[in-house]
Amino acid sequence: MTAAPLIDQPLPQEDIPMTETRTMHRPPATTYPGVRASAASLPALVGIEIGKSLSTRSGRSLAAAAVVLPSVAMGLAALSGDPFPSATGPIGAVGTFAALLLMALGVLSTAGEWTHRTVQTTFLLVPQRGRVLTAKAVALVLTGGVLAAVATAASAGVLALTFSGDPSWEGALFAMGTVAGSGAAFAVVGAGVGAALGNAPAALTGLYLTVLGVIPVAGVFQPEVVSWGDLSNSVLLLAQGQEETKAAVVIAGWVLVSTVAGALVTRRRQVA
Amino acid sequence: MITVSGLTKKYGDRTVVDDVSFTLEPGTVTGFLGPNGAGKTTTMRMMTGLVAPTAGAAVVGGRPYAQLPNPGAVVGTLLDASAVHPGRTGRTHLRLLAQTIGVPAGRVDEVLGLVGLTDAAHRRIGGYSLGMRQRLGIAGALLAEPPVLLFDEPVNGLDPEGIRWMRDLLRAHAARGGTVLLSSHLLGEVEHTVDRLLVIGNGRIVADAPVAELLGAEGTAVRALDPAAFARALEEAGFHVQHGTQGVLLVPGTDPSQVGAVAAAGGHVLVELRPQQRALEDLFFSLTTAA
Repeated sequence: MTAAPLIDQPLPQEDIPMTETRTMHRPPATTYPGVRASAASLPALVGIEIGKSLSTRSGRSLAAAAVVLPSVAMGLAALSGDPFPSATGPIGAVGTFAALLLMALGVLSTAGEWTHRTVQTTFLLVPQRGRVLTAKAVALVLTGGVLAAVATAASAGVLALTFSGDPSWEGALFAMGTVAGSGAAFAVVGAGVGAALGNAPAALTGLYLTVLGVIPVAGVFQPEVVSWGDLSNSVLLLAQGQEETKAAVVIAGWVLVSTVAGALVTRRRQVA
Repeated sequence: MITVSGLTKKYGDRTVVDDVSFTLEPGTVTGFLGPNGAGKTTTMRMMTGLVAPTAGAAVVGGRPYAQLPNPGAVVGTLLDASAVHPGRTGRTHLRLLAQTIGVPAGRVDEVLGLVGLTDAAHRRIGGYSLGMRQRLGIAGALLAEPPVLLFDEPVNGLDPEGIRWMRDLLRAHAARGGTVLLSSHLLGEVEHTVDRLLVIGNGRIVADAPVAELLGAEGTAVRALDPAAFARALEEAGFHVQHGTQGVLLVPGTDPSQVGAVAAAGGHVLVELRPQQRALEDLFFSLTTAA
């Protein structure tokens, strides 16, 4: 395989005026043997994005924290000795914790690239920015979903082993599914907000302040209105089987708005 | 071949790149010269689709960069060596690039060896010096052995040995039929590497010619015992005379034998006669400050 087909494939004559110089210098340098002539497939790009997320210390630390810390939290709750009537409450609570950690993984996947300016190389090799964002979103759905699923399974195990009060396990599987789905959703929300802001510290601070600070405080004054934007409480409600439709709409709304904002800004932003 | 036509970039009222057009031919190394802020980097970013032009277009082999099926296999780009994640190791960084371009995994160790980073490959990039990051960026650009290389200020941070290595690398690439664009704000860095100079000042191309042609504005410097009389004699012989400092006469477009012949014919006593080479730096300044 040579570079010639890549650079000198037949083109419509109107695209490229034939000049003397163009025909003088043949053949051009050849590419390395075995280099792919076509673009990377979407599954390949998804794999690369997962590799990017987990090839830095910050990414690996977040992934490990999202898996381990919910179980630790569950263990601490068990030590407090408070009885839980239903397993869905603690599963949802520590699952929200896992999802919030995975949100940071999403932020780093997009905003981290702008902060470290690696986005330059990313877009040089894959100029179709929509493809890059799609690959990132799919990678985060997979990473976030799998890590949250492992985290919730482990924390449910801790719950089963340590709680003396014997809570009801009815609805526990649905709660665990909610946690896994939320892990995927939160990671994508983080990626969307990160892409929209293009700055990792700003995106992390802004997101956590909004989700954990502004919304709960505002909810004290306007509970009904604010509940439609309360991301973390929606996971708790959904996990416990309360107001499922509304909670699902709130989570989906966050995913939609942040993804659209991230995609729009990324399309237009100059890589300077 | 790369054709850039009418590339223009405006930020509000400020025109950073102004109607820039040029062609890069296979088999040549083209130097892209200009002071810092002249528009070199913005031009290269527009050529590679990172920055959207206000007007104009750039095509690689007839297609806009973004429409190349696998751009990393056609164009090896080094724009900003510090645009790397400091937390990854050099090898991991290159492996991710190799996967994206679709280069066999074994090539990563090959390019690491080529740029002399084999021993540092397992270390995190955060601990690399500027020169090492520059080498890592070059390694990334060379992964696919692409026919086109676009290097923006690649010798920043390289030691003299590294600069010579880079020169040999780029010359060899052009000798194999490759196309090279090499930007710099220092003429001395590229004058022995390039075939052709593209000089940019205040966003506009002010010179685009083979190096020899740009330096062709040479002449003779001569000092006579009676400068005024000899100047008259030269003008009568049809030469254009410029008055330099300390009585030196400059006769552009001549070689010393022509000037010496005029002196001999008129019996003028000369105290100095030498070829005058136009200093590259002078040329550079005259072109870029005039813009």
